[in-house]
Amino acid sequence: MKILCDRNALQEAVTVVSSVVPVKTTKPILQNLLLRADSEGITLFATDLEMAARVQLDSVKVSKKGTALLPARETAALLRELSEPTVTLDSSEQRCRIESGGGSFVLLGEDPEQYPEEAQSKAGRKVEIAAGAMLRMIQETVFAAAREETRYAINGVLLDCAAGCLRLVATDGRRLAISYENLDTKVEFKTVVPLRALHTLSRALAEGSKEMLRIEVGDKQITFAVGSTQLVSQLLETRFPDYEGVLPKSADTTVEVAKSLLEGALRRAAILSSNDMRMVRFEVADDQLRMTAESSARGRADVAIQAVVKGAGGSINFNPDYILEALRVCKLDQIRLDMSDDSMPAKFTLGESFTYVVMPISGS
Amino acid sequence: MDAFYAAIEQRDRPELRGKPVIVGGDGPRQVVSTASYEARRFGVHSAMPGVRARRLCPHGIFVVPRMEVYAAVSAQVHEVFARFTDQVEPLSLDEAFLDVTGSRALFGDGETIARAIKQQVKAATQLDVSVGVAASKYVAKVASDLKKPDALVVVPPGEERAFLAPLPVSRLWGVGPATEPLLHRHGLRTIGDVQARSEAELVAVLGQNLGEHVFVLANGLDARSVDAEREAKSIGHEMTFVEDLHDRDHVRSIVLQLSEMVGRRLRSHGQRATVVRLKIRHPDFTTLSRQRKVEPTADDLVIHRVACELLASCWNGRPGVRLLGVTGASLVGAGAPVQGGLFAQAPKKRDQLLAAMDRIRDRHGESAVRHGGERRETTQWGPEA
Repeated sequence: MKILCDRNALQEAVTVVSSVVPVKTTKPILQNLLLRADSEGITLFATDLEMAARVQLDSVKVSKKGTALLPARETAALLRELSEPTVTLDSSEQRCRIESGGGSFVLLGEDPEQYPEEAQSKAGRKVEIAAGAMLRMIQETVFAAAREETRYAINGVLLDCAAGCLRLVATDGRRLAISYENLDTKVEFKTVVPLRALHTLSRALAEGSKEMLRIEVGDKQITFAVGSTQLVSQLLETRFPDYEGVLPKSADTTVEVAKSLLEGALRRAAILSSNDMRMVRFEVADDQLRMTAESSARGRADVAIQAVVKGAGGSINFNPDYILEALRVCKLDQIRLDMSDDSMPAKFTLGESFTYVVMPISGS
Repeated sequence: MDAFYAAIEQRDRPELRGKPVIVGGDGPRQVVSTASYEARRFGVHSAMPGVRARRLCPHGIFVVPRMEVYAAVSAQVHEVFARFTDQVEPLSLDEAFLDVTGSRALFGDGETIARAIKQQVKAATQLDVSVGVAASKYVAKVASDLKKPDALVVVPPGEERAFLAPLPVSRLWGVGPATEPLLHRHGLRTIGDVQARSEAELVAVLGQNLGEHVFVLANGLDARSVDAEREAKSIGHEMTFVEDLHDRDHVRSIVLQLSEMVGRRLRSHGQRATVVRLKIRHPDFTTLSRQRKVEPTADDLVIHRVACELLASCWNGRPGVRLLGVTGASLVGAGAPVQGGLFAQAPKKRDQLLAAMDRIRDRHGESAVRHGGERRETTQWGPEA
């Protein structure tokens, strides 16, 4: 195999596929990436057996077709350090010579035949969505997913496509984030995608981009394709909890408040919530939202901010971290909180199509 | 109390009186709970493997423990204590610290109260109790142990150092099989030897914490007060098996049983655990302990789910299991704030169910009602409705 290509384009492609290469693995061959050159250009591919990334590059001069398996980390690092605009790769018998400018490097690869390359996915249910919209939905949900390993069942995000609407839903059992986007489609599916796959995908998506992301859902795997990049992930075989059932239908009190005011005040109050139990009390009355926290060992905080209050008012305790994490990805200036008592989830409206539900802390 | 369990057996079964009685079994996995004074003469003591006790004392009479009876007698004894003071800190079924400082005006000095307690315990239970009277908990405890059985030892204030001086260093709390030889190597054999050293010298030998601790005890400076509301830091149960367990389902069902015992005790103490700990011992005595933080809980099934997850993380069916233990730790009061769950069964409903099960057990015994074995799992969001 022998190719000549643009260093920048190759480096970007290698960075994308390298993101699925496992840092630690019991199968050392998985620390490589596969490079295939044919008449259409080159394809880079890497997998950790749960997830795979494929990038195609066509602005490449292929002078000899063939396949090479290269150590992913070293290849990526080397391409980053080279300064010439073009680079030549020439490989035979598991040795790949890289030449660029005055430098010449030899990477020792492994047998490409041994690498578990997956066939391109078979047909499934397909939808298309703007890359920027998908990125927004990922950002608005992933933070709420469970991170503990044993809660593997919700270590993923639900993709629920129905009635011309794609919803992303994530929960750790105590709070739940829903973000949606309307699509012109009749396709329906409901599937749980591992968090890691969405984190990797988000790196390939640009903020506000109108470029279309193609999503294809099969029985066991899901494929995301944008531009010349393709990401395939196994689906989580799990039962996602009934999220629609926990959305509160009504509320005793509605509070509208400026996001920046709430975020600042809550951060200040949270400093004095106890280490054992992160807790801030929200008290709503007379056009103000008052936040208090107390640590028996360190002190007390009492902060009040302006708010538009409708309904009975009252007080309710929250883990401040749950709310701050959501506010960090909220782009609205004015947000709305619907709350009842500590036995009912409270609902935050954090965007036109971004809803967040938090279970309060009860007792005390 | 003196040889508490054995003394109760001898009281209830006259044919055992004057004979070496060993409460506990002599099977391969059993241990001695208590030995009567007759058996102790042969070198038998509590926590000794039953097999060894049998060898030391071949004609010893082994008796199966009757914990409910011992608990009932313990309650009678505590009832006597309560006549003299409400400042009672129980150490175990048969030991307690009493602070009678405020009771002297009514009942006389420490020695007088001690005599009255001995007499009234004897009247209520026909059992002997040994009492130590001193100005600190540590000295009182040493005094009570010194002349068992049926002893009364008074250490007047100011005489603590002289009283402790001739005793071996092993009488110091915190000086066990590891520390004792260390002290010996530094020429410290009696508590008097320790008293001759400065705090700095002891810290140099034993490290900061133990050094300070030993200095304080040896010089009779222990100032800890009797804590009548002392709360357990953890609640746990263990089981050792006659034959090693290999079957996963069987092990999980034992874990369920232990979890139910822990949950029941948590609820009866009005507490919740924020840490669940699993202990597993293999036939070669390697012992593993795994723990995880949880939302405060006193729910048998939540404890069981977490304990099983911990089990799965450290045991794959091999090697066999000799001992299992489940503990709820870092306890908080039942009224402490709890982060609610979105999908769990309504907590109140669940609490009512557990309370109902507790009432059935109170009336009809511990095995009257159980959670169904393996088939009723909990979901990751809480127990299934």
